[in-house]
Amino acid sequence: MALIEVSNLKKSFGNQEVLKSITFSVDRKEVIAIIGPSGSGKSTLLRSLIHLEEIDDGSICIDGEYLVKDGQYAKQTEIRKITGKMGMVFQQFNLFPHLTVKENLMLAPKLRKTESLGEIEKRCYDLLRKVGLSDKADAYPNNLSGGQKQRVAIARALMLNPEILLFDEPTSALDPELTGEVLKVMKDLAEEHMTMIVVTHEMGFAREVANRVIFMDGGEIIEENEPEQFFLHPQHERTKAFLHKNWK
Amino acid sequence: MVDYWNRIIWPMIEGAQMTVLLFFIVILLSIPLGFLLTLAVKSRFKPLSWLAQLYITVMRGTPLLLQLLLICFGLPMIPVVGEYLVFDRFVAACIGFVLNYAAYFAEIFRGGLLSIDKGQYEAAKVLGLTKWQTTTRVILPQMFRVALPAVANESITLVKDTALLYAVAVPELLHFAQTAVNREFTIVPYFIAGVIYLAMTLILTVFFKWLERRYKYE
Repeated sequence: MALIEVSNLKKSFGNQEVLKSITFSVDRKEVIAIIGPSGSGKSTLLRSLIHLEEIDDGSICIDGEYLVKDGQYAKQTEIRKITGKMGMVFQQFNLFPHLTVKENLMLAPKLRKTESLGEIEKRCYDLLRKVGLSDKADAYPNNLSGGQKQRVAIARALMLNPEILLFDEPTSALDPELTGEVLKVMKDLAEEHMTMIVVTHEMGFAREVANRVIFMDGGEIIEENEPEQFFLHPQHERTKAFLHKNWK
Repeated sequence: MVDYWNRIIWPMIEGAQMTVLLFFIVILLSIPLGFLLTLAVKSRFKPLSWLAQLYITVMRGTPLLLQLLLICFGLPMIPVVGEYLVFDRFVAACIGFVLNYAAYFAEIFRGGLLSIDKGQYEAAKVLGLTKWQTTTRVILPQMFRVALPAVANESITLVKDTALLYAVAVPELLHFAQTAVNREFTIVPYFIAGVIYLAMTLILTVFFKWLERRYKYE
């Protein structure tokens, strides 16, 4: 059974229909890249999965539990439990500027109170080492580069041991020379078989790391395929046009 | 010289104590009250929000001096209940200042809240923080930090506004300065009063600069 199952998802902002009956599923350990022109609804789709947007109709099932079934949301406590299986990384990092890097990582686990402080601290340093920022534990986010901030944000999301990581254009706010260090961390995660859904403009990353590429346009999934097929033999005219413009 | 000290400067320093006392009472009460007003304005219960907004509009839209006169001299004149509304002058002045400054602080804090990016709420949510945890651990610390320069500004204004006590005949710094001017027929007490006010605002300025550096988050 798929880890994420989305069926007939519909979402409008006012009169504008931004997601028109989306259906797709993600298996455990898959890395999905969602690409498409801006305004195609890809970010909204991602945000719906973790309940940052409420959908109007359809179903989202995560790890066998319905976050929303036929437009009916689960109870608040259930929603918290289900969305707790996912972590999210934002385009604008959204680190807490009044907390140090270490405090950013430790805040949520500390409030959750399921582990001792010692365990939390140990995992904090393990994860900072993993993203290459051991020396920045006591720095404030304002003193970090964009690439460093995003690596902290990834480590912070990992602190809660999510089963699924969602990335919303994680490199779009970065200077080109800083995207590499973030993509490297994401690649490492993919190699450790973290289930990931990545909304991105990085065609290179999508092609190299993703198991499957989903192309969205106008609130619909136009085409999905494994990367080689997708990039070398796009089926749909709109996919071809998009790749022609965005990928050389 | 000793005589000069005893007759002029010492009463003024005693008067300044009243000024300082009023300052601390007003700061300590109006900041929490102002924050409660901010929460009331943001409340989803509309009548409470409207009431708070009306309150802020009236308190900010009318002169503080008018409000002080009303509380000190106006309330006792109300038929029937008036006799229960006669407060000690200083207490009445404190009430007036607190009610007025709370309205300003409420607006300052509301501005602080507006400055916080919605991404902060979203990050807190996806990390599983409850609404209460988000407010106390993520939003409020940032709100107070953003509000700090405006709070500093307001505090310095308050030091100078305490001179309004003069109008409701509470003996404070300016009162003793004016008395000395009349009695000694010299303008020196005005300058001494000015220096004392300046010293108080300077101490505040340094204190708030220190706070801003302390919570720079860099």
